[in-house]
Amino acid sequence: MTNTINRREIMAGAATAGLLGALASGQGAFAQAGPRKTIAVRIDRDLTNLDPAHRTGAWDGNVCRSVFQRLMKQKPNSAELELDAAAEVKQVSPTVVEFRLKPGQIFSDGYGEMTAEDVKFSFERIGLPPVGDAKPSTYKGDWVNLDKVEVTGPLTGRIILTKPRANLFDIAIGDVSGCIVSKKAVEKLGGEHSVKPVGSGPYIVTNLERQRGALLKRHEGYAGPKPAYEEIAIRYIGDPRTTDLALRSGEIDFAVLSPQAADPLRSVAGLVVTEQPSIAYVWLGMNTEKEGLKDIRVRQAIRLALDVDQMLAAGYNGKAPRLNTLLPPQILGHWKDAPVYKRNVAEAKKLLADAGASNLKLKLLILNQPAYQNMALVARALLAEVGITLEVDAQEGGTYWSSGKGDTGKNLDLFILRFNGKHDPNFIMQWFVSGQVGDWNWERWANPDYDALFTKAAGEIDKDKRIEDVIAAQKLMDKSAAFVWLTNEVNVLVHRPWIKPAAVPGWLDWQYDSFAVGA
Amino acid sequence: MLRYFFSRLVTTVLIVFGAMLLLFLLTAVVPGDPAVTLLGPQASPELVKRFVSEMGLDQPIHVRLWRFFANVLSGNLGVDVVSGRSVWSLVLNVLPDTLILTFSAILLAVVTGVPLGIYAATHRGSLLDNVLAFVSVAFIAVPSFVIAIFLLLIFSIWLDWLPVLGAGRSGDFWDAARRLILPTLSIAATWIGFIARLVRTSMLEVLNEPYIRTSRAYGLSERMVTYKYALKNACIPTIAVLGLGLGRLLGNAVFVEIVFARPGLGRLIYGAISERNFPVVQGAVLVVVVLFVLINLVVDLSYSALDPRIRRDGAGGSPV
Repeated sequence: MTNTINRREIMAGAATAGLLGALASGQGAFAQAGPRKTIAVRIDRDLTNLDPAHRTGAWDGNVCRSVFQRLMKQKPNSAELELDAAAEVKQVSPTVVEFRLKPGQIFSDGYGEMTAEDVKFSFERIGLPPVGDAKPSTYKGDWVNLDKVEVTGPLTGRIILTKPRANLFDIAIGDVSGCIVSKKAVEKLGGEHSVKPVGSGPYIVTNLERQRGALLKRHEGYAGPKPAYEEIAIRYIGDPRTTDLALRSGEIDFAVLSPQAADPLRSVAGLVVTEQPSIAYVWLGMNTEKEGLKDIRVRQAIRLALDVDQMLAAGYNGKAPRLNTLLPPQILGHWKDAPVYKRNVAEAKKLLADAGASNLKLKLLILNQPAYQNMALVARALLAEVGITLEVDAQEGGTYWSSGKGDTGKNLDLFILRFNGKHDPNFIMQWFVSGQVGDWNWERWANPDYDALFTKAAGEIDKDKRIEDVIAAQKLMDKSAAFVWLTNEVNVLVHRPWIKPAAVPGWLDWQYDSFAVGA
Repeated sequence: MLRYFFSRLVTTVLIVFGAMLLLFLLTAVVPGDPAVTLLGPQASPELVKRFVSEMGLDQPIHVRLWRFFANVLSGNLGVDVVSGRSVWSLVLNVLPDTLILTFSAILLAVVTGVPLGIYAATHRGSLLDNVLAFVSVAFIAVPSFVIAIFLLLIFSIWLDWLPVLGAGRSGDFWDAARRLILPTLSIAATWIGFIARLVRTSMLEVLNEPYIRTSRAYGLSERMVTYKYALKNACIPTIAVLGLGLGRLLGNAVFVEIVFARPGLGRLIYGAISERNFPVVQGAVLVVVVLFVLINLVVDLSYSALDPRIRRDGAGGSPV
């Protein structure tokens, strides 16, 4: 038997080789398409709605803050505000803020110059009840106490509040809910504005595709300083392992990862790995209405039986900072002298005996993610030593986030929760007031003194007095023993050495327009 | 043939209706409040109320069921309450990606698996037959996403030949083709072995049939006996399995879409289920169901075209 190669086989082989060659020749084209002009960044949630009033999370918000201007915006890598679209912003009384826009700030796509009418439209569509058939904004709370915006001239106006508000600048004026949209564009485009936003900021969205991401291009009509990169390619990659490979292969240039996911990348040449503390906060909460946990001595015993450092070592490879109170150190009113509870098995057993709690069986609800699962396993072992049997109930997102709502929340025992923060104490404190029981106050902790301090701090313009109120509120939380603070997490930034990424401290709010060229 | 076609068509319509009912009931009983999951802590009570109303969740279950059927029958899959876009547009946006991935995987599996199966059957007991048997079983046992990760490590990281991400610049054919190679291989790998085994077994069975012996006795060439007379009948079980396997392929596509960060229906449904975004779940799953039953209808019809006994039996039997 002889094997011969005929003409047809040679042609087929050549065609196959040619095809493979052609395919391989394009390899790396994306990564090499002008490094230092274009950067590719990874986001872990899909972009959904780029209208500031209807954005669905930080991922949408980060695009909004580079597409739209605000009266004031955060300085690069800072929570401090500086003028953006406004030439002047002046608080003339506790309830009135006057503004004057810079002239010549042009919206993209031919929608003309920004006016005070656009500012009024942008703020009122979020803060006031919707007109006609319009959809209310998810972020209405950001503009709480807004009475109206008065237009006093083409470029001037007054923001009028119903009562004083301490965080008006940090949460409303200077953040995404303060983004100024073109009234004409929103009215003309309707729902299309959520995918083709028209702004006057440093970038424009040239392409947005679900499950792929977006492409931002420098807005040549932007009146402010030009951003360093011509294009930002935003890639949606949910899986951290794929992100790892895409970073190694050069297909993306920047990603924020968990410590576990980032560890293998520390030794990869051509990547820089740095850590930044987060302002997201994680804690173990206890349902104060639940039989067994009603007794404060039981809650105190659980707090003493747990070892937060051990839990963090298991959950975050020991890379996450320990949190001892509600507000992380970066936030105004952080209680730096908060007690640091050490594990004390004997004292915990004594408290349980005093409370008459023997053979206690509890359930710990967690989100089914590795960090929480690891911490829960450690908690189970630690509590077993004081005679508490812990069942770990790991749930996927949909079920988990509904678990504390309404009457369902009455059945909770213990839970590990993580909330995103903002650079404002009241924003973080709001979830623990009595009115949030059955919504986001899963501890079902109702304390009138806390509520009063929260309300007072929200309207307190004097910074020192506000800090006093906020610390007093945190002391009440500590006294309740319903909270075991765990961590304010850490974000691990992985990027090429030629990028200097930028974000508001905490790394939830990225500043694409301030990403700089590194070494 | 026409009678058979209409009987299969009626069955197909009934299956779609049954699937719609099941789909509705499943989304009605799944735990988790969509308003909470989708809107998060920022939601005001008025927004939650409006959201619940937009989703129709404030209506009695029979009203919701009626509306769901009425909307679907009028071609309306609903509106994604998060983005405000129609579910149709979301589905159409990613459907081509899923179809391209699925059909390219099937094509690769058939083009590779069938010749391998034929070779193994006609060279029974040879070294290649034994190697194929081992490799086939190994690939059938390994899930697609594991194969995907290994392929990424080999071809994207070590050899640096192909990209990691499964989706690139929209509209760029060569970029899209390059990014399709590894996802296709990941899904097809399991099926190549499966089809090869199936074709081998069917071929061995058919090659022992009297009509094959007769064909050889008439002096027909071995190539003609194998490819013209044996293969046609040996392919019938493979075609049936391919139709049923489409559902499994779509299931595998979810994992592959996640690993390669590639757009697709699987990823759309997975994300929508996590968020309890019911209109998107219902709309997208329904499209998958319809695709699945339509492809099976085509498979059934082609199956009957290949084997006339089937359409006679399916049409209610015949005295002949």
